[in-house]
Amino acid sequence: MYRKQRIATVSVVMIIIVAALAAAETTRKEMHFKVGRRANISIVNLYGPISVKPGIGKHVSVTATSYSGKVEIDQSKRGNRVAVVSHLLQGADSDSGRVDYEVVVPMDANVTLHTATGPLHIEKLHGDLLLEGSTANVDVRDVSAGRVHVKTLNGPVTLTNVNDAYVEITSVSGDVSLHQVNGASVHVNSSSGKIHYDGEFGEGGQYSLTSHSGDIEAIAPSYASIEVVARSVQGRVDNDFPLQPEHTSFVTRSGSAFAGTVGQAASSVNLLSFSGKIHLKKREQ
Amino acid sequence: MTDAKKQQGRLSEAEAIERAKQGNADAFEALYNLHKRRVYSLCLRMTANTAAAEDLTQEAFLQLFRKIGTFRGESAFSTWLHRMAVNVVLMQLRKKGLPVVPLEENIETEEESPRKELGGDDPRLAGSIDRMQLQRSIESLPPGYRMIFLLHDVEGYEHNEIAAMVGCSIGNSKSQLHKARMKLREILRTSRAEKATKP
Amino acid sequence: MTCEEFERVLPELGNDHSIEQDEHMKSCSTCSELVSDLNEISKQGRLLQGCEEPSPWVWNSIEVALRQEGLIREQPGNLQVHPPRLSWKLRWLVPAAAASLIFFGVLLHERGGIPKHQARQESPAGVVTADLQTEGMPSEDMQLLNSVAARTPSMRDAYEQNLRAVNAYIHDAEQSANNDPNDEVAQQYLRNAYEQKAMVYEMALDRSLQ
Repeated sequence: MYRKQRIATVSVVMIIIVAALAAAETTRKEMHFKVGRRANISIVNLYGPISVKPGIGKHVSVTATSYSGKVEIDQSKRGNRVAVVSHLLQGADSDSGRVDYEVVVPMDANVTLHTATGPLHIEKLHGDLLLEGSTANVDVRDVSAGRVHVKTLNGPVTLTNVNDAYVEITSVSGDVSLHQVNGASVHVNSSSGKIHYDGEFGEGGQYSLTSHSGDIEAIAPSYASIEVVARSVQGRVDNDFPLQPEHTSFVTRSGSAFAGTVGQAASSVNLLSFSGKIHLKKREQ
Repeated sequence: MTDAKKQQGRLSEAEAIERAKQGNADAFEALYNLHKRRVYSLCLRMTANTAAAEDLTQEAFLQLFRKIGTFRGESAFSTWLHRMAVNVVLMQLRKKGLPVVPLEENIETEEESPRKELGGDDPRLAGSIDRMQLQRSIESLPPGYRMIFLLHDVEGYEHNEIAAMVGCSIGNSKSQLHKARMKLREILRTSRAEKATKP
Repeated sequence: MTCEEFERVLPELGNDHSIEQDEHMKSCSTCSELVSDLNEISKQGRLLQGCEEPSPWVWNSIEVALRQEGLIREQPGNLQVHPPRLSWKLRWLVPAAAASLIFFGVLLHERGGIPKHQARQESPAGVVTADLQTEGMPSEDMQLLNSVAARTPSMRDAYEQNLRAVNAYIHDAEQSANNDPNDEVAQQYLRNAYEQKAMVYEMALDRSLQ
């Protein structure tokens, strides 16, 4: 009886020690910086999500949650530039090296995010945004009046409600989805990733959606005002709009190339693929 | 393939399965490369849509890899994967409300039912069917016929297995297979006759 | 047995014919022909098994999902946290490689002498290869992959797959531009293809992620 009690006591103590050790591994670090107008914020985090949202005032707040002792958070501030880096120690891997970031910045801040696995999320900012992730999911929404530059290898990219912006997306094999993205320049370059655009092609901008083998689907309203060129060397090309022909050197070929204008042709739209299918669809009202 | 290579292949797949259970990325990819063509071809023929077939292929492999820890080798790995792929496709078709298999008491119209030719001197199809022609003909089959034909003649399932998978009787499976083959025969002979009359 | 009776029982018996059916087929060329045709269709159907190939993005998507779900677990000790530092010469390679790659490619194209880029290589069907094949890749790509493997081994496979996709893009774009040097669209393909390659190099050599 006594022996059983002793075993039970030792077991409970061991459990408490193990739990305490485990809890000790999870570390939450909060960093605060005071910045001026159009501050430059940079986060480098090999493994783990980074989420950036706007805050009130001229403050940057970074909350970093790590799950092991194998990663250190380095921070620096020089003038109006803030940099936070997840520094991996010996023996760190994608689990132990993971850090979760929640970042709050002024709305006019310029933000640069670098990761391998991500995911990356930015919303409601007006500054310049650079997001780079090898296999990361990239999600940008409700931003305007800045530059949005996204680079991924095979991470999928989604932009939603991005207006009055210069947008440049380069993804090798990640799918790219653009919902209500309009600006002076919207340029998507993909190798094998699919490109989906659902928007207005508005603001009198230049829109270029190009791929090697990825399919391209562009959906626009019946009142779109565009000058469009579409061509696929080996894939099928379809168009739902009645086009006014243009006097250009571009060779129209039924099923693989078309060109023309819709409405006042305020925006220019290039849909080019080597072997992917292209479809310019009219949005159902 | 020689017996030695087959043996090596079996051992390598077993090794890849064990390593995949440990979370090895190369092992997952090796298993994918070994079986991707069969799974994708099945999905493509069932849906006749490249994008849908790729999505279903991805889903089938993901479901398999999530459960790979429970694979004990009671059946062949490829059988297990293939069943999973078929189930994924069937679920998708059901979700979309598309016909999976004709009803037991299927009453066909004159147009749908393959004509039974009891006379005529048309030569046999043996040696004259090419792959592209057969693929196109399969795509033009009604969905229910196509499903049974693909599962039995292309993928090699037995009628009792097909009946269990799609939820019909063995008799219905046999009947639909026969009608599918008759329909294909009609399409192929018509196509050949049209070619023969072209200048 | 009449022809109607023969056809009525045919679906049920399949390849197992009764004696009466065999006797009927010997005497009736029509029914014999029917059975022969149906067997031929079945035989040809089997040859269709597994002959289509999905696009590379399918595996990419699967791998990303497996990593996100934690099903791919790298072995401890694979990641070198303090890798051998690249020499000062290689440190400047990042912007130089990107710019020179684009410049070199466009320059060679304009002079009409574009070197061939290797197409993707596929594993032979039915052979399980635990190590990815690296045949057919330019030597500079191999050096890049070795550099990635030394710093972040878990990313090597992703970089290889994407390099292959980009090389295929360059290959097709070069052919297209060669076919018609005045084709502006073909020129655009080529610029995009080199832009992709430059990006892959830039990301691979980005020391901020070390």
